[in-house]
Amino acid sequence: MSPEFYQKIAETNQWGAIAPELALGILALSLLLLEIILPKVAHGAIPRIAILGQLAILVYAIANSCSGACVTGEAFGGMLFFDATGELFRVFFLGSSVFVSYLGMVSLEKKTLPQVEYYHILLVVTAALMLLAQANHFVMLFVALEAATVGFYILVSYFRHSVVSLEAGLKYLIMGALSSAILLFGIVLLYGAGSNPALEASSRDPLNFGNLEIFLAANSGDMLGLLGMLLVISGVAFKVGAFPFQIWIPDVYQGAPIPTTALLAIASKGAGFAMLLSLVQVFSPLSDWLVPLLSALAVLTILFGNFAALTQRNLKRVIGLSGVSHAGFLLIGVVAATKVEWATTAVMFYLFAYLLASIAVFAVFAHLEKEDDSEISLDDLGDLAKKNGFLGMALAIGIGSLAGIPPLAGFIGKMLIFVAALEAELYGLMAVAVVGAVVSIYYYFGILKSAFFEVWHFQDDDEDAPEEAEPGASLQFFGKVAILAAVAGTLILGFYQSPLSSWLSGG
Amino acid sequence: MIGLEHYITVSSLLFAIGFFGVLLRKNTLVIYMCLELMLNAANLGLIAFSRYHGGMGGNLFVFFIITVAAAEVAVGLAIIVALFRKRQTVEVEELNALRN
Repeated sequence: MSPEFYQKIAETNQWGAIAPELALGILALSLLLLEIILPKVAHGAIPRIAILGQLAILVYAIANSCSGACVTGEAFGGMLFFDATGELFRVFFLGSSVFVSYLGMVSLEKKTLPQVEYYHILLVVTAALMLLAQANHFVMLFVALEAATVGFYILVSYFRHSVVSLEAGLKYLIMGALSSAILLFGIVLLYGAGSNPALEASSRDPLNFGNLEIFLAANSGDMLGLLGMLLVISGVAFKVGAFPFQIWIPDVYQGAPIPTTALLAIASKGAGFAMLLSLVQVFSPLSDWLVPLLSALAVLTILFGNFAALTQRNLKRVIGLSGVSHAGFLLIGVVAATKVEWATTAVMFYLFAYLLASIAVFAVFAHLEKEDDSEISLDDLGDLAKKNGFLGMALAIGIGSLAGIPPLAGFIGKMLIFVAALEAELYGLMAVAVVGAVVSIYYYFGILKSAFFEVWHFQDDDEDAPEEAEPGASLQFFGKVAILAAVAGTLILGFYQSPLSSWLSGG
Repeated sequence: MIGLEHYITVSSLLFAIGFFGVLLRKNTLVIYMCLELMLNAANLGLIAFSRYHGGMGGNLFVFFIITVAAAEVAVGLAIIVALFRKRQTVEVEELNALRN
């Protein structure tokens, strides 16, 4: 290889295009530096600095998102691919990480634990997820995914004095490492298939998405490639929590600290679908196998998630399992995206609606002021609406949007997925989705019922009970803004979608 | 003569041993070793494909995998040790605080 070859590769390194990720990394490091420099009394400012820094990056990312001249196409020698969808996922991950930083502020203040490291790891994970959404090469995909996953292990077991948090961390560790190993072996098989010089259209760099797609189109019957595709999809299904791979979700969601649960529910799920959307494109020559596989996953995921959630009393488990059923709906969108082009937009809209609704719901959970946040059950919501009307309203809007009640954003998201499925002629999937949506209303309204209607108290019980903090006692200015923004966003998107949808479709 | 298929057979066997080890064994440390075995099975496969098909991409990927595995071990063992200090056990069956 000549120097000119390397010169050419080096010229594709467009550092300006990954400025948000670089800024996040620098911010993460400077937080650690600030902890050393600042006097102890000023340490309370560090989370605020983290949030403000992220907001600045978020504004930059939104302003830069492909409205005018922006970098598109491959960069870094084919490692990254910049397009409108990648920009949107950037905004999605940044939005969720700003919110999770706020939740971290609320729930870490009550603990005697090192605090700055939480934000540091959170920022690094977010940067990794942003790169993951733009990966165009399996090496990039794997390294970004692992950088995020290893960070997640730490965040899940962050309350290291609590047995449940550590146990959740261990479960997530074993399941996450298992799924990564399966994904990795799938990549190895794809490499073996695509680099075989005896086959047509083989390449010296078969792990590049574009090269692999060309290879698979020329050899769609190749056993090694097929097996590799199966293993890769299984590994990704673990991350999104699709059916036979959802077993870790209830336990890990319950044991993890609330901010981490929110991050898992929002960002980890979004990352899984970012990967799936680009992988569906790569594996499109194998769609005879891929579409039935994903359809079966979607059906089982919707049915399992909704029926398993019916019997739960623990709120974090309910939300975890409802997240499983949301993954099922999104999978329908992904299946539709193999046939209908705008279905990708529907998936993105659904993800943003889910982000806003989850922000409202998790903010309420964090402000219930329970000592042990793995034991929040339906009973703890008792009379929430009476004790704190603001939180009650946020919960109602958030849960209503998750359930898909018109005129909230969640309804429009579900409807867009249905229309996409209709256009792609996936009638069986639609039928299952309707059943799932109806069943889900039962447990969502169970949550609302316990928040809005009187719970019977025995009089003498109340006298013995220790004074518990009222819900919402630690609600600060930033929290109110976050909840209001999420609620307003959910309401506005329910009535008026054209700004977001035109932005989503890159217009 | 040892060919590509022999390497791939060994690699697949290692992967299968690791996979079923994770599913069937009860000791967390053994499970963890099985997870590492799966990563190393992938390494062996990559190197064999890279050697027999030509091209350095596979060899290069192995370095990334080794690095990732090291990071994973560092975090994983820390979690296992912290849990052992709390519960005095690493048996999966006795770690059952998360039940509804």
